[in-house]
Amino acid sequence: MKRVLEGSQAVAEAVRLSRVAVISAYPITPQTHIVETLSDFCAQGKMNARFLRVESEHSALASLIGAATTGVRAFTATSGQGLALMHEVLHWTSGARLPIVMAEVNRALAPGWNIWIDQTDSLAQRDTGWIQFYCESGQEVLDTVIQSYRLGEEVNMPVMVVLDAFFLSHTYEPVDVPEQEEVDRFLPPFVPKFKADPAAPCAFGPLVPPAAYMEMRHSMAQAMEEALRCYPAMEEAFEGLFGRRYGMVEAVHCEGSDIVLVTTGTVTSTCRQVLEELRGKGEKVGLLKLRMFRPFPTDEIRRHLGGAKKVAVIDRNFSFGASGIFAQEIRAALCNEPGHPPVFGFVAGIGGRDVTADTLKGIYEHVKAKESPDRESVWVGLQEVRNEA
Amino acid sequence: MEKRNDTAKTSLLILPRTFTSTEANKTGSWRYLRPRYEEKTSPCSNACPAGEDIARIEMLAEEGLFKEAWETILRENPFPAICGRVCFHPCEGRCNRKEFDEAVAIHQIERFLADTARKNDSKPVIVGRNEKRPEKIAIAGAGPAGLAAAYFLTRLGYGCEIFEAREEAGGILRWGIPPYRLPLDVLQAEIARIQDLGIPIRTGTPLGPSFLSEARGKYAAVFLGCGHSRPRGLGIPGEDLEGVEEGLPFLASIRRGDMPKISGPVAVVGGGNSAVDVARSVARLGGESWILYRRRREDMPAFETEILQALEEGVKIRELLAPVRLERKNGRFVFTLQPMRVDGKDVDGRGRIVPDGDVETMEFAKVFKAIGEEAGEDWYRPPAEDRDVLRLSNCTVSMKPGLPVLVYGGDLAASLKSVVHAVASAKEGAIALDILFREGRENLSGGLLKCRVGEGPSLSMEIHLGGPRGRRSSHIVSYSEINADYFQMAPRITQPRLLPEERLKGFDEIDLRISANLAIREAGRCFNCGLCNQCDNCFLFCPDMSIHRGEGGTDRWIDYDYCKGCGLCAAECPRNAMVLEEEKGS
Repeated sequence: MKRVLEGSQAVAEAVRLSRVAVISAYPITPQTHIVETLSDFCAQGKMNARFLRVESEHSALASLIGAATTGVRAFTATSGQGLALMHEVLHWTSGARLPIVMAEVNRALAPGWNIWIDQTDSLAQRDTGWIQFYCESGQEVLDTVIQSYRLGEEVNMPVMVVLDAFFLSHTYEPVDVPEQEEVDRFLPPFVPKFKADPAAPCAFGPLVPPAAYMEMRHSMAQAMEEALRCYPAMEEAFEGLFGRRYGMVEAVHCEGSDIVLVTTGTVTSTCRQVLEELRGKGEKVGLLKLRMFRPFPTDEIRRHLGGAKKVAVIDRNFSFGASGIFAQEIRAALCNEPGHPPVFGFVAGIGGRDVTADTLKGIYEHVKAKESPDRESVWVGLQEVRNEA
Repeated sequence: MEKRNDTAKTSLLILPRTFTSTEANKTGSWRYLRPRYEEKTSPCSNACPAGEDIARIEMLAEEGLFKEAWETILRENPFPAICGRVCFHPCEGRCNRKEFDEAVAIHQIERFLADTARKNDSKPVIVGRNEKRPEKIAIAGAGPAGLAAAYFLTRLGYGCEIFEAREEAGGILRWGIPPYRLPLDVLQAEIARIQDLGIPIRTGTPLGPSFLSEARGKYAAVFLGCGHSRPRGLGIPGEDLEGVEEGLPFLASIRRGDMPKISGPVAVVGGGNSAVDVARSVARLGGESWILYRRRREDMPAFETEILQALEEGVKIRELLAPVRLERKNGRFVFTLQPMRVDGKDVDGRGRIVPDGDVETMEFAKVFKAIGEEAGEDWYRPPAEDRDVLRLSNCTVSMKPGLPVLVYGGDLAASLKSVVHAVASAKEGAIALDILFREGRENLSGGLLKCRVGEGPSLSMEIHLGGPRGRRSSHIVSYSEINADYFQMAPRITQPRLLPEERLKGFDEIDLRISANLAIREAGRCFNCGLCNQCDNCFLFCPDMSIHRGEGGTDRWIDYDYCKGCGLCAAECPRNAMVLEEEKGS
């Protein structure tokens, strides 16, 4: 049934439909509406789940580790500082191979205090062993949460579903909310490969010596590769039931285009419009939406970007002392391909600043005018700062 | 030792698990700090001259164990219904909760517990000594000190007999405190409970000075709690004019039921509790009360709440006004008064007062003198200290040869004139006599030290009798040692009270009863400083599962084989009932 929902509410509906058993979260803007809606669901009996109130994000995820170890579906949601506080436990979740799903609403890190979008919070967690999806719309958020349980449970890895602060978390859009029976068909009850069993008491995560640790970590690396392999079949099943498919990446007119813009999150929607306009004027421009960031879909990226003459990556994040993080990763994916296109990096929309159609057109004109990038990152739309010392 | 490790392994899932017990790893060997259960002393119980176990009383009251809470009071003080009403509650002044929000209303809970026990006709079960002692003890005076001394000595196994000069028992409680503060039935119920112990009270039996020497042979000791009864004069011309009355006899006549009509302005000279009581009684009888005090209001020895209530009732106070002379003109008293001012400090720390300008006069219809009393007879007074006379905190013990042991208690020997100090002097005297008779004079000081609540001077009868309270450390818990994270702000209970206009209609008790649920809530505000109330924080926080609970979950112990000494238990104990000490030895 089509309903007009906030991105946050779409997350909550998906959690409900996924029959999550334990939710633990600490409220933080702009994630709050997600947990508010979920606690409502629990209080009203719309969900048969335990909602744990905790004193911090660290405890939220730690308590879910306990819950998930008993073999049930678990969910949390956070943003910015909250995710940073969770950092230690993020590693533990993946190492313990618990397929917990988290909604993470991108929020800029302090100081200065800023509750608006910036992707650095989630990208700073790229090495924690979580699968990461960056979503564009309310519908995609709902679908991705449901998909995440299936994918995560298949490979025993946790999944982070990332959405833009306000532009997605607080924007109402029509969303098709599937029926419970349909979701149940896609996502059957969780059958854990292992769980805590009081009849055979054991300790999880004990000391692992050098003789075994490396193999354990390697199995996590393999699980990530397995996620890449499982993904198409998972999406096929999803498409068969719901008629929607997103891909690890989505290529729009990439083939035969001279310049391909790479985007993530809600900027992609703006870029689609710019693309139509430019192509209407005869410009040979394409768009690659990067949706899955971990595991990194290197082959897909090489396939769609390898033929372009130039690639422009728009980053709403920054790794200080280096460059935009998506640009780094795209460069790394392409560098071993002979004759790969140059990658132009653009940093835009940091801390919630708008990335408008004009911003994107400006980026396109910049790339079109240059043979090759003269620096790793161009900060777009910087204003003059007057120092009044 | 064989360690069985299981590794669940599919092609993609390597998951470390261990099925061996960690019990083999005695983590206690890592410990260099050792937590230990140690109950401590609450500041309120130390501040209570009667040494009541207040932290425990509140704990029991909060659990709804009203009778047990009342009995806990009775172990240390025979007068909870009286002290819950008239005590100036120094306990509340030292309450740690004061640093957090407001002190616990300890006196209100005490009164509630006593009133509830009376309503239910509860019979207390108080531990005493089963063994009867051969020594008989005479008690002179059935005031609070004498009654309490008989109560404590009887519990210690001594046969007691009380001699009272007046027609009824109660002393200052009966004759000096007006009914609006202490109703007669309340007093009588408390006295009846003491009589129920089998203690004879010989009323209308004044003793003469020869009694002390005559008592020898019949009594091993005499406890003198004769109080003050002889008024001190003002030492000014005209103070003996007809119509100038003493305060205490006036209060006593009201207690007898005389309710003279009084009209016009009435002077009450003095600043103590009696002066305030006289002024408030005058106001109830229709007079316009003026308290005249030669020092400042803040120097008045009367309790602050009494002064405030007097002001609410329309009593006027003129401070820094010293009486010069009284004259009678046209049926009125003309009072000549010298205004005073403060100039430096007196030896007792109060402001030194000196005359300030010209005298003034005020006219009154009546004048009461209430500047205090002294011993009624010289032989009531404790002798000066010498090698046979020992001055203790609240009583004086005379062990002169040829006489029974004499214990001077009550107002004549206590450090402060108050009901609870009378109880303190009785307890100190009783314990002192018990030690003297059982262990001899040389053990007296040491024996008394062992009964101290905290660092004293309050003493505990329960500790003297070898009760569990004696196992507590004398360390007095400070607010900084309370883990305030476990407490929520909550306002102190408001004392329901008659409105000033209602009070003036008669001598009805002013402070009204509180309900059981309010009492429970108020008792629940108590931090129970230093006591374990079995909250189980230690158990919940111990990362090594080293806290064990005994049958019924009451006693706890620490398994030192596994306790690493992290100290979480002690840190998370809300009420400082644990200590963390450096491990001694190897």
